[in-house]
Amino acid sequence: MAEVATADVAHDDHHHEHEESFWSKYVFSTDHKIIGFQYMFTGIAMALIGGYFAYVFRMQLAFPGSSVPFFGLVSPAAYNSLVTNHGTIMIFWVAMPVLIAAMGNFLIPLMIGCDDMVFPRVNRLSYQIFLLSAIVLIASFFVPGGGFGGAWTAYPPLSAMAKYNATPFGAPMWLIAVTLEIVAFLLGGINFITTVMNARAKGMRMYDIPIVIWMIVIASMLFMASVGPLVAGAVMLLFDQTLGTTFFDASAGGDPVLWQHLFWFFGHPEVYVVLLPAMGIVAEVMCTFARKKLFAYKMILYATIGLGILSFFVWAHHQFISGVDPRAAYLFTTTTLLISIPVAIMLFAYIATLYGGSIQFTTAMLFALSFLAEFLIGGVTGIWLGSSGVDIYLHDTYFVLAHFHYTFFPIAIIGTYTAIYYWFPKMFGRKMNETWGKIHFWGTIISFNCIFIPLFVLGAAGQHRRIYNYQHFPDLAGADMQDMRVFATISLVVMLLFQIPFIINFIVSLKYGEKADKNPWKANTLEWVAPSPPPHGNFPDGFPEVYRGPYEFAHPDREDDYWPQNEPGNQKPKT
Amino acid sequence: MAGNSLKKYNQIYVALLILFIISVLGPELADILGMEGLSRMALILPTAFGIAIVKAYMVAAHFMHLKTEKIYAPYILLASLALMFVFFFGVKIDIMAAEGHNWEKPYEEPTGSAGHHGDSHHDHGEKADDHH
Repeated sequence: MAEVATADVAHDDHHHEHEESFWSKYVFSTDHKIIGFQYMFTGIAMALIGGYFAYVFRMQLAFPGSSVPFFGLVSPAAYNSLVTNHGTIMIFWVAMPVLIAAMGNFLIPLMIGCDDMVFPRVNRLSYQIFLLSAIVLIASFFVPGGGFGGAWTAYPPLSAMAKYNATPFGAPMWLIAVTLEIVAFLLGGINFITTVMNARAKGMRMYDIPIVIWMIVIASMLFMASVGPLVAGAVMLLFDQTLGTTFFDASAGGDPVLWQHLFWFFGHPEVYVVLLPAMGIVAEVMCTFARKKLFAYKMILYATIGLGILSFFVWAHHQFISGVDPRAAYLFTTTTLLISIPVAIMLFAYIATLYGGSIQFTTAMLFALSFLAEFLIGGVTGIWLGSSGVDIYLHDTYFVLAHFHYTFFPIAIIGTYTAIYYWFPKMFGRKMNETWGKIHFWGTIISFNCIFIPLFVLGAAGQHRRIYNYQHFPDLAGADMQDMRVFATISLVVMLLFQIPFIINFIVSLKYGEKADKNPWKANTLEWVAPSPPPHGNFPDGFPEVYRGPYEFAHPDREDDYWPQNEPGNQKPKT
Repeated sequence: MAGNSLKKYNQIYVALLILFIISVLGPELADILGMEGLSRMALILPTAFGIAIVKAYMVAAHFMHLKTEKIYAPYILLASLALMFVFFFGVKIDIMAAEGHNWEKPYEEPTGSAGHHGDSHHDHGEKADDHH
């Protein structure tokens, strides 16, 4: 375990750094940090597109038929396309690249104390394929017929035949984009797993690995193991769309429910693929700012592994009213309720970590704490939806929508902000402004709750998803319900406006922020040993050796309240 | 070192060939001897499918280097294999079902002999039902 697997061969051409052009340094780089930034900035750009889509269709729902500022009139086809691509972008092009690819690329070599990923060129290829997939998706909005509008789950027959979805080019392009994105993350995931298993710093044993690295590795394994059926299904669906096969066409002997199985066998583990890195990021931040050891490290690790295994046995809870076998519904209800146990273990362990700590309310810590609160709401409402009886009523309503936004928003948005505010000094060598960070935090969190709590109420009142204009439905057109829609939409606009301070803070801090030293938060993990920002090769003063676990805060034998992993202490180095 | 591993690869290749011949001979022998029922299964299952598993193991372990990899690599492979079965059995009860609990199919399954006279058409339908 002690050897440092370097990628010397791939790096030979990097030894003359002063000669590097902009292109080789920032565009075709094999440096894990640059690739991480590429993923991060592409993800943030896609998040702006996804947020803009949400703004447009929420405006249509609040003020149906009126012209939306910065867009114009929303046609039903455009509405479908906006909703579909909002979901697709936010999951495949925001949550995955920022949380797993960007954070995994940036953090893994730094936190395990090596110079780069073990396959730097595979890493570069992974980003290039990802970029290609984003370009294909964006291009699909401009082809004749417009972007695909059959929901991000792409259920056939709607997705399979152009005569139903009216997007003869948009639908196949959407499918190709998703498949390319998956290929990119398979390459990245293999790289992450191999790097962590082979290139750890001397003395770093399995239980000395920071929990965020474990979670990214387990997430990569879940992704690898779950994605096969979706790729197979995507090829079948592409054949249905373009070559006239009938895998999912019931009138010609196919079965549309097969797609739902293929999709959700991937789709549910996917939830945990993005959840786990966010949970790991939150754990790191909470330990540092509570100055406490992570409570029950091994328990959290085992709960994560249990969560990963269980996540493969719950997929059909998305299909309770698709005509699946009722005996299967019993089984999947049971497993779905079971899966709340490992998540609860993790949340309780996090709360126990906070207990008795000397908590510093930095912006990163505030985001980490809000993650717990908001994700808890998302998790608890999931228990209701997981019961097949309740789901018959709530299926496909805004209750489901509010539920998964209460899980995905903490994961994708709060998790990302936690990470950026915490690791910004390491990424760019300067700190972000805390005051503007806190304004950004409160504006985001309060308006987020104002968006989705009304949607819970609307969903429980029977408001269905994917409807263009509720004024066409007498039961849903009441003034009280419309008021709530308007309130949610205004809250969304407020939330989007509160992202402006973040963007300005980010850009200004890049150049004028307070200079950060190596270890501005006084944390223990190895990335804080490297200079800020780390140069190519990460550790110019030699690779660190590890003597203890990653969370030794407030150790009684020590004056400082933190004890970095690489600092030799009164113990002998472990081998 | 290199010559050694090449020799090993060749040995495994020969072993695979021999196993292949056995796996063809087994079912052939069952036909030649005119075996039926249980004894036929007892001969065909181990020679055809049993040997296929052995061959798959040899290819994965040596040619795909799983034997020399760290232990997590074969575990990931085995886990994927197990998940394939989970997926198959989870899906099988729903897919291509001709009858269900609370739904009925208002049309008749196409039988493939629609051009023939009516009686045989009817027989066909009953047979298909028995099959389920």
